[in-house]
Amino acid sequence: MSTVGARLPAALARLTRRREEGLLGGVCAGLARAARVDPTLLRLVFALLAFAGGAGLVAYAAAWIGLPDEGQAPPRRARRWLGVALLGVGAVVALRSSGVADSLLWPAAIVAAGTLLALRQPGGASRSQLTARTVAAAGLVIGGSLLLLETATSGASGGFLVAPAALVVVLFLVVGPWVWRLARERDTERLERIRAQERADMAARVHDSVLQTLALIQRSADDPRRVAALARRQERELRAWLYGGPAAGDGETLGRALVESLADVEELHGVRVELVQTGDVQLDEPLRALVLAVREAVTNAAVHAGVPEVFVFADVGEAEVSVYVRDRGAGFDRGAVPADRRGIVDSIEARMTRHGGTAAVRSTPGEGTEVELRLPLEAS
Amino acid sequence: MNPHRRLVLVEDHRLFRAGVRSELDASIEVVGEAATVAEAIPMIRELDPDVVLLDVHLPDGTGQAVIAAVAPDRPGVKFLALSVSDAAEDVIAVIRAGARGYVTKTISGPELSEAVHRVAEGDAVFSPRLAGFVLDAFRGVEGVASDPELDLLTAREREVLQLIARGYLYKEIAAQLHLSVKTIESHVSAVLRKLQLSSRHQLTRWAVERRLI
Repeated sequence: MSTVGARLPAALARLTRRREEGLLGGVCAGLARAARVDPTLLRLVFALLAFAGGAGLVAYAAAWIGLPDEGQAPPRRARRWLGVALLGVGAVVALRSSGVADSLLWPAAIVAAGTLLALRQPGGASRSQLTARTVAAAGLVIGGSLLLLETATSGASGGFLVAPAALVVVLFLVVGPWVWRLARERDTERLERIRAQERADMAARVHDSVLQTLALIQRSADDPRRVAALARRQERELRAWLYGGPAAGDGETLGRALVESLADVEELHGVRVELVQTGDVQLDEPLRALVLAVREAVTNAAVHAGVPEVFVFADVGEAEVSVYVRDRGAGFDRGAVPADRRGIVDSIEARMTRHGGTAAVRSTPGEGTEVELRLPLEAS
Repeated sequence: MNPHRRLVLVEDHRLFRAGVRSELDASIEVVGEAATVAEAIPMIRELDPDVVLLDVHLPDGTGQAVIAAVAPDRPGVKFLALSVSDAAEDVIAVIRAGARGYVTKTISGPELSEAVHRVAEGDAVFSPRLAGFVLDAFRGVEGVASDPELDLLTAREREVLQLIARGYLYKEIAAQLHLSVKTIESHVSAVLRKLQLSSRHQLTRWAVERRLI
């Protein structure tokens, strides 16, 4: 991670003058572009500062000398330093002319020097060097601040409140956008960290689930049913994780209960259950009974129909829930089912009736079976 | 007997492409295979096939990108979306981009062949899941429609979609509703058109909730 200080020179290096857009040397146009403000605002700032003992003029000259023209090679190091020095002179002139007493000016200069030292962390410095610099910078800032405080409380200067306030505003205008941009860059960095984290989570997830399952499948290659069941379970887990869906929903809903219940049947009986649902509703006692009835119907289809696929469509309407369980399998003749086979009667029909619902079974031998379950929703 | 159809297969898994090729019936000729959006676009322009079987997710983009690039100057090419994705946003987005249908990758060979022929003839192909999504999308308060022609499903269309969601094939739906298969096809095509063109308030909100727009 890079520090704020390491970026300061980089930020300065990005500053340019924009001659063709400017009125004079393009300083205001260039700065305004970097700070993303209206150039007129900056021109006003420089003009106002020009009245502070000519500080604005000095600062403008400093920027003209120190900043490269857009598209040109950056000026030499010496020229840049001349610009910075001029800038310092401008600041001192401005402060003195606006009535800041020397007793206030020097503590402020000490604070500024400390801040600069803190911000300009050279790239190749060792850890101990960095620590020394930080300590020195902190010392300067704290010492200067204490001196400032003392001067202020002793009330050395009469009219020192207005002019410094104006300077603070100016400083805020110039530094504010830059600080704001730094903060945004930090946000971007955090986002990237989060993304990296997500990738790591994903890799872990794939390892824990998919790769393990693939290993299991290789070992059970001679048992097609087990392979299919393993693959299907993995697919379901992966889907729930990737797309959310009812399995990842919060609280107990009909959709979630159906997904879990039908997943069990798929695994137990090696069939594929295609569940389609529209709408959803919080689970209550009658709906739990409905889920059990659906489970029974799907199990029947899985065991008796002799087809690999069962369709379940659950429609949550305004007043009632309807669920259709359908297979394109063997089908049966209701009259020919032995009386001791109580699955449909007890587990489906009686259960639905107990909770105020209905069940209808339609089956044609050779074409398939559909079980239709309906349950009124209680007005809540 | 089904007419001869030329198919381009856009799908990034080589094994899956091989599987599809071997399962399609003899009337469908795979004239080209592409694994990426960048490969697919010039290939479809050049070969001008009857149908493009298009994976929703490709390494360098989405199925929608292929449709958007090709459809304007190859209006005769029909797109059938193919996906393992359960996500409503993927499915609805590719349909709204112009695909004539959506099937899941677990579809059987004969069903896939039938879907290709159906799309080639200009009809729509809905999987049970797509039918569920559409019912969900058009559900809601009646009467808020700004354009009832586009924004509401008719009772018959809803009935047909519910039967598709229940796992019925077109001919089974026709038998159930005492209608012809052709009529069922035209109902489904009408639903597809509404899905592609409706700017309905409910549909928009539904889409926004699922980050489609």
